[in-house]
Amino acid sequence: MAGAGLNRRLKRWPAWALLVFVAAGLLAVGATRDTGPRTPGERVDDITRRVACPICDGESVYESRNNASESIRAEVRAQVAEAERSDDEIIEFIADRYGGQVLLVPRATGIEALAWAIPAAALVCALAGLTVAFRRWQAEAATARGATAADYTLVDAALAEDRRSADDPPDDASRRSGAARRSGDDAPPEGDQP
Amino acid sequence: MTAVSLNAAIGNAGLLLMLASTTFGAFATAFSIRARATRTLRQAPRYAWLALGGAVLATVMMQRALITRDFSLAYVQQVGSTTTPPLYNVAAMWSALEGSLLLWVLVLAGFTAAVAWRFRTRTDDVLVGWALVVMFVVSAFFAFITFGPASPFAAGPPVPVGFDGPGPNPLLQNHILVMFHPPILYLGFVGFTVPFAFAIAALITGRVGEGWLLETRRWALFSWAFLTIGIILGGWWAYEVLGWGGVWGWDPVENASLLPWLTGTAYIHSVLVQERRGMLRVWNISLLVATFALTILGTFITRSGIINSVHAFSAGDIEGYLLGFFAAVVIVSLALIGWRGDRLRSPGAIDSPVSREGAFLANNVVFTAFAFVVLLGTLFPLLVEALEDRQTVVGAPYFDTMSTPIGLTLLFLMGVAPVLPWRKASAELLRDRLFWPAWCGVGALAVAVLVGADGWAPLAAFGLAGFAGGAAMRQLVLATRRQGWRGLVGRANGGMVVHLGVILIAVGLVASNNYTQSANIPLTVGTVQSWNGHTFELESVALAEDDRASVVSAQVRLDGGRVYEPAITTYLQRGETIGTPSVRTGLTRDVYLTLDGSVRPTPGGDTATLRVFVKPMIVWLWIGSGLLAVGTLLAAFPGTNRRRPTDPTSAPVPIGERMGEGAGR
Repeated sequence: MAGAGLNRRLKRWPAWALLVFVAAGLLAVGATRDTGPRTPGERVDDITRRVACPICDGESVYESRNNASESIRAEVRAQVAEAERSDDEIIEFIADRYGGQVLLVPRATGIEALAWAIPAAALVCALAGLTVAFRRWQAEAATARGATAADYTLVDAALAEDRRSADDPPDDASRRSGAARRSGDDAPPEGDQP
Repeated sequence: MTAVSLNAAIGNAGLLLMLASTTFGAFATAFSIRARATRTLRQAPRYAWLALGGAVLATVMMQRALITRDFSLAYVQQVGSTTTPPLYNVAAMWSALEGSLLLWVLVLAGFTAAVAWRFRTRTDDVLVGWALVVMFVVSAFFAFITFGPASPFAAGPPVPVGFDGPGPNPLLQNHILVMFHPPILYLGFVGFTVPFAFAIAALITGRVGEGWLLETRRWALFSWAFLTIGIILGGWWAYEVLGWGGVWGWDPVENASLLPWLTGTAYIHSVLVQERRGMLRVWNISLLVATFALTILGTFITRSGIINSVHAFSAGDIEGYLLGFFAAVVIVSLALIGWRGDRLRSPGAIDSPVSREGAFLANNVVFTAFAFVVLLGTLFPLLVEALEDRQTVVGAPYFDTMSTPIGLTLLFLMGVAPVLPWRKASAELLRDRLFWPAWCGVGALAVAVLVGADGWAPLAAFGLAGFAGGAAMRQLVLATRRQGWRGLVGRANGGMVVHLGVILIAVGLVASNNYTQSANIPLTVGTVQSWNGHTFELESVALAEDDRASVVSAQVRLDGGRVYEPAITTYLQRGETIGTPSVRTGLTRDVYLTLDGSVRPTPGGDTATLRVFVKPMIVWLWIGSGLLAVGTLLAAFPGTNRRRPTDPTSAPVPIGERMGEGAGR
């Protein structure tokens, strides 16, 4: 049982604080560290991944191997070699030259902004819906009539059986009694119960 | 000309048999149920056998036509060639629109017959009866499509003696996976028809309780597994054949297969909430309807040519039918749900968001949002075209951007959900149960940082993957400690094995998407080039020709070891040229060699330009898929003698063991 005590002591808040600290530190180190200058080849790859081949069916210039893509790739390579424009500026330049349909990412303006706005709106709606649903469930639970004598008998029986078979932590036992209220189709999850 | 009429005539007869038996079966079964005619109701399985017989006959005749190169058929003219090797000639059946629909029909007939067989002792049951009616109707629709507007047995224009067709698309005669990817994917797509049929049957009969869910639990599970494996095999095929070094391109066709997968995955999770708490009834039925409707919509999107895709088959005349069927499915389902609205109202309530059911609900919201985003991105070009009359493309970068937060949320949920109890969790319980999984996450993060990973999103993904993996392992360790090997089977435990597979796949995807390096390397015979810690030496440029194709390949010695042969193949019949990569697979990184198509090397010459990708962790996608398949089998394992939910979980545990276990918590 010494092991159990140690385990319990280990899981107190200092260890959790340490965990958060270590995780944040590692994330900060990894996210900010300098991995050296990007090679021009990598920049060309990154940019061409965001540009559609003008004559194919939805392939990017990066993937496509035809002449049109080859000429765009050459143009990007030249721009990168000049090292004057940023990635976004090069993409704008290509888009101006070949027309908007070479962009693989919708713009944030005009009608194309809908591609970003609609998911955001959907997210807000989903969260609002969930909040409303939980509110309603809580309200229902609050107005539901209290437990009857039969319920208490049922719970007592379940608890008695429980005591025979387990030394559960308290919330497992209370959960089980809660589950027993809905008799019939219920059993504890297979993994969480001794 | 006798052979000509034979293949087409018998094939058409098979399809007609299927069309007739399913149509008649649907009417006869429905009327028997209405008239309470038990004797005629018992005939229902026979229509399913007949339909299967017809579909098998049609498939056999199609294969015979392909094998005998029966060029009187338009379809064989399109995909047949005397030079196609036997293996790819078999696969030629599903290399274009009509034949792939025939495969669909075959799988659908197989599933209908399987349902009829599985429930053969319960044909009196109106739930089974209505489910069969739905299966018959869906089968009849597809039989009609293949018999009529998209017939694989349609006669082609007359051809001269000695005519030879082009053969299947070169990309489809280049790798063995072409044999497996489409049939397995179709098993997944079509398999979801079964739970859908039972959902509709439950609505019609009003038995909207949990009975139909339990009946179709394994059907849904296996369909989901087939769909998953089919999608991954598609990625594997793309990786081995297409030569751009990726597994997933967010192409409309790929998205069309992902959409039902997303809603199907949501379903196999939320179904647990209904089985246990009796809640989310409307939601579950809606998810099944969505999954089924999205397979139809996906077929429509990819087969009608309304959205450009490298995958899309040439447009047939079936888009109207598919769209009509899609609309019918949605309208009928919604009407039924509305009609049964009162019975679908569930009694329970979810007490707390921090509970098992709360986590499942969150999972569902995220998966549905994911599906919505994928659908929006896929259809967005249509929207822009309709409103502004111009062409746009929504490509991989958009989907990558959108799926990053969604994927991270899902990984987080995978970590938290398995430890949550039903009803309500206390902070103390979370602190206790999440402790070691959370440290697993920190460990994974530390390893990732040590091996040089950077960027906050990939690092967060690795950390959360470790967290989720720790939570899954915790469940498996607790269960096996208690029950021995039986702790690996059952839905909860098998599900955790599936989770581990999914986590491996997620790690492989994140690593390979974020840390791939590539370069063009000009090589000359006799000179060793090195790049990124690897050496490349060109040995020769060779030419191999037969009457099917001419192959220019470069023999490249990699790291002084084995020789790899990336190639450019020109298919003579079609005049198409495709590059074939050559890959060295390793546990931590793949080296992926292709010949740069823009600089085609001269056979016998001494120069070639390689395009090389170094992609980390790719092999874990395939290992994870294997684990996922194993986990699905484990989840389905207990079979008919599965523990009744009301029985005690296990035999009494001896005192000593129980104390040992207490130490582990």
